[in-house]
Amino acid sequence: MKRREFMRNIALGGLALGAVRKPARPVQAAAKPPDLAWVEGESPAAITRAALEALGGMKSFVSRGDVVCVKPNIGWDRTPELAACTNPETVKTLVEMCFEAGAKEVVVTDHSTNQAARTFLRSGIQAAAKQAGAKVLLPSSFRMKKMSIRGEWFKEWEVFLDVYEADKIINAPIAKHHSLSRVTLGMKNWLGAIGGARNQLHQRLDEAKVDLARFFNPALTVLDAWRILVRNGPQGGRPSDTELRKTVIAGRDWLAVDAAGATLFGIKPEELPFLKIAADRKLGRLDLERLRIEKRTI
Amino acid sequence: MKKERSKKYRLLQALRILSQWAFFGLFLFLLTRTRFTGEDVIGPVERFFHFDPLLGLVATIAGRVFFAAFAWAGVTVLLTLVLGRVVCGWVCPLGGLHQFFSFLFKKARLHRPKAAPAAPLKWKYYILIFILAGSLFGLNLAGWLDPLSFLYRSFTTAVFPALGHAATGLIKLLYLLKLSGPAGTIGQFFESLTINPVYIQGFFIGGLLLAAVLLNLVRERFWCRVLCPAGALLGLLSAGNVFKLKIDRSKCIDCGLCNLQCQTQASPFPDGDWKRAECVYCFTCGAVCPTAAIGFPARDVPRKEKRVSLDRRKIIWTPIAALAALPLFRINPAGRRAAASLLRPPGALPEPRFLARCVKCGECMKACPTGGLQPALGEAGPEGLWTPRLVPRVGYCEYYCSLCSQVCPTGAIKELTVEEKLKVKIGTAWVDKNRCLPYALGKPCIVCEEHCPTSPKAIKLVDNPALLPDGKVSVQKAPSVDTALCIGCGICENKCPVVDRPAIYCTSIGEQRSETNRLLLDFLDSEPGSY
Repeated sequence: MKRREFMRNIALGGLALGAVRKPARPVQAAAKPPDLAWVEGESPAAITRAALEALGGMKSFVSRGDVVCVKPNIGWDRTPELAACTNPETVKTLVEMCFEAGAKEVVVTDHSTNQAARTFLRSGIQAAAKQAGAKVLLPSSFRMKKMSIRGEWFKEWEVFLDVYEADKIINAPIAKHHSLSRVTLGMKNWLGAIGGARNQLHQRLDEAKVDLARFFNPALTVLDAWRILVRNGPQGGRPSDTELRKTVIAGRDWLAVDAAGATLFGIKPEELPFLKIAADRKLGRLDLERLRIEKRTI
Repeated sequence: MKKERSKKYRLLQALRILSQWAFFGLFLFLLTRTRFTGEDVIGPVERFFHFDPLLGLVATIAGRVFFAAFAWAGVTVLLTLVLGRVVCGWVCPLGGLHQFFSFLFKKARLHRPKAAPAAPLKWKYYILIFILAGSLFGLNLAGWLDPLSFLYRSFTTAVFPALGHAATGLIKLLYLLKLSGPAGTIGQFFESLTINPVYIQGFFIGGLLLAAVLLNLVRERFWCRVLCPAGALLGLLSAGNVFKLKIDRSKCIDCGLCNLQCQTQASPFPDGDWKRAECVYCFTCGAVCPTAAIGFPARDVPRKEKRVSLDRRKIIWTPIAALAALPLFRINPAGRRAAASLLRPPGALPEPRFLARCVKCGECMKACPTGGLQPALGEAGPEGLWTPRLVPRVGYCEYYCSLCSQVCPTGAIKELTVEEKLKVKIGTAWVDKNRCLPYALGKPCIVCEEHCPTSPKAIKLVDNPALLPDGKVSVQKAPSVDTALCIGCGICENKCPVVDRPAIYCTSIGEQRSETNRLLLDFLDSEPGSY
């Protein structure tokens, strides 16, 4: 197709779409869904499901025919009881719910730190996600592409295309201790969606996290806090490094999810520079007391 | 005279080719399986080696201990005693490779078999005697020319990486052509094979394989005729084999085709010249004979036969040469003082015992999931050429992995469970404060601490005031190594953002296997000989 033809088709298509657009549906009288869902309960799957229901269901985040990327933390060669990677049940439930909401394809991947073949397997995420029908992709250098990330601080970086190219991105981090950031939550998880010399970003980690979170801008963030890592982060190594909290925190506002996640560790959100920077740039909210948080225990 | 080739021997030849392909396929299969396949335990992918009597003999004599798995070599010995060098002709994957290339070179008219001067068949016997004599003095010289070690090492460090690079090119091309579907599928497949694409000596070792293959232009199966010490050993063992070549004089037309086409210069014609220690029972002679005059009946009649004539003086002088060469291997200071950069894989025996057993086959390097195990050059002295060493800048030692210890065919690396491996210290990490970002530049980093796999972490963080060029002071968290906790895995060095010469690096000091390369005195608190 010639460029001119292409342009003309685009223009015609746009006109056609405009002509047939239906009038906007009247806004439902029902209560607006809460800003955050904070659910505690007896199984990772049940609390994940309950959190999504509280937020109005997966349908409010995923549309029919979408290619969805669920991006857990699969960074470390650790088994689930060591809480270094996202809980496999949480990932599985998210994949299932994406399909229930009509997703065409669900991709689960992460640019891991240890050998991917090991982390994907031993975290239990590969098996769990595949069982739910997801396409589990090992990170590959061919899928890292340098592109503009339009950041306040850094302008371009190698981006992991399998995450970037999805119609909708769901961030599924796990709450962990981290020596530099104090905690690693949703925003830090984006370091697993890029390539390049990402370890050099630690020199300005807070700004990097904000720029990356803004760039990937997930449709939904589901913070796994079933078992959190409270010391020796971000990979721990002993069960005694973890605490069983049986919690999941989810929301559309990724900054608010991280702000709420910080409180799991007894940290006030304002104390964390990456949250402050993001809030100052009006990328989300960290004033938890003013947010509508639906807390449930099931 | 009826001119017809023997159906029986053409069939046997076809079966032999089939068998060679099958064993070469088995070799490739086992080698590709030598990786993390999802289980902590990998299974006997190194079994091929245990059928090699040369490796077994040398590892046993040099190492002064019999490694039980080499009992399998008894099968090869028995087969050879009864049937001759069938293992060379039908089983050996390197022999198969050479025969295939000999065939190709002949087909392409790059090589025309000549009746003229005999290749120096006896060299391989002298090589064998040299190796065996060396083993008496604790030198393991078998690995460099043993066909299995040679083949495995070459494929691991050169052929597979080269294929990996070719696959990379193909995948890039497919993406360029917007065929992202197939590209993704092939890409995922290659990711799952975990082929290490980087080997420090890949060029050199691959070049030697290429040279060995090109020698088939000089003589068919040049390696097997002239160089192979394992073939020589099997030749010596084949003195009493049952099936012997016989030429039916009533049919023979003295064409000499059998001599010309013989793969290993065993001189089938006239049958009194046949050298049974050279014959690999490929049955080429039987298949090419235009009058089906050649047969291999079972005969127990003692008969005059030819052997490769070894000069008695040389038989005596070769061990003496080996004895003279022995000190040359030991002049190097490697035996006196451990090399800083010689990080041996976890489970490696103390250095002298390790060197006596290691056959440089590269199985551990193939199994290493990060590609960190690399063939040594001079770090372990001349004896240690191509023995494994961990190069953290290429790849680190994966914490929950003990594959290298499981695939070692000679026990040079003691087999460890993952649980046992976690406690093995192979070296110690050191911080170069002149290059470390927090220490030298006052910038935050902690990447090494983040990656340290032990719990509690061996890398602690301390607040460090760095004096900057403008006179200001920047206080940052800076790494400090707890040497008692550090196992020397090298992930800190591998992940350090100061890429060219990492600001944290591992050296062999403190390695648990050594009594001389110790650092801390805590071993004095434990029972003597607990390791």
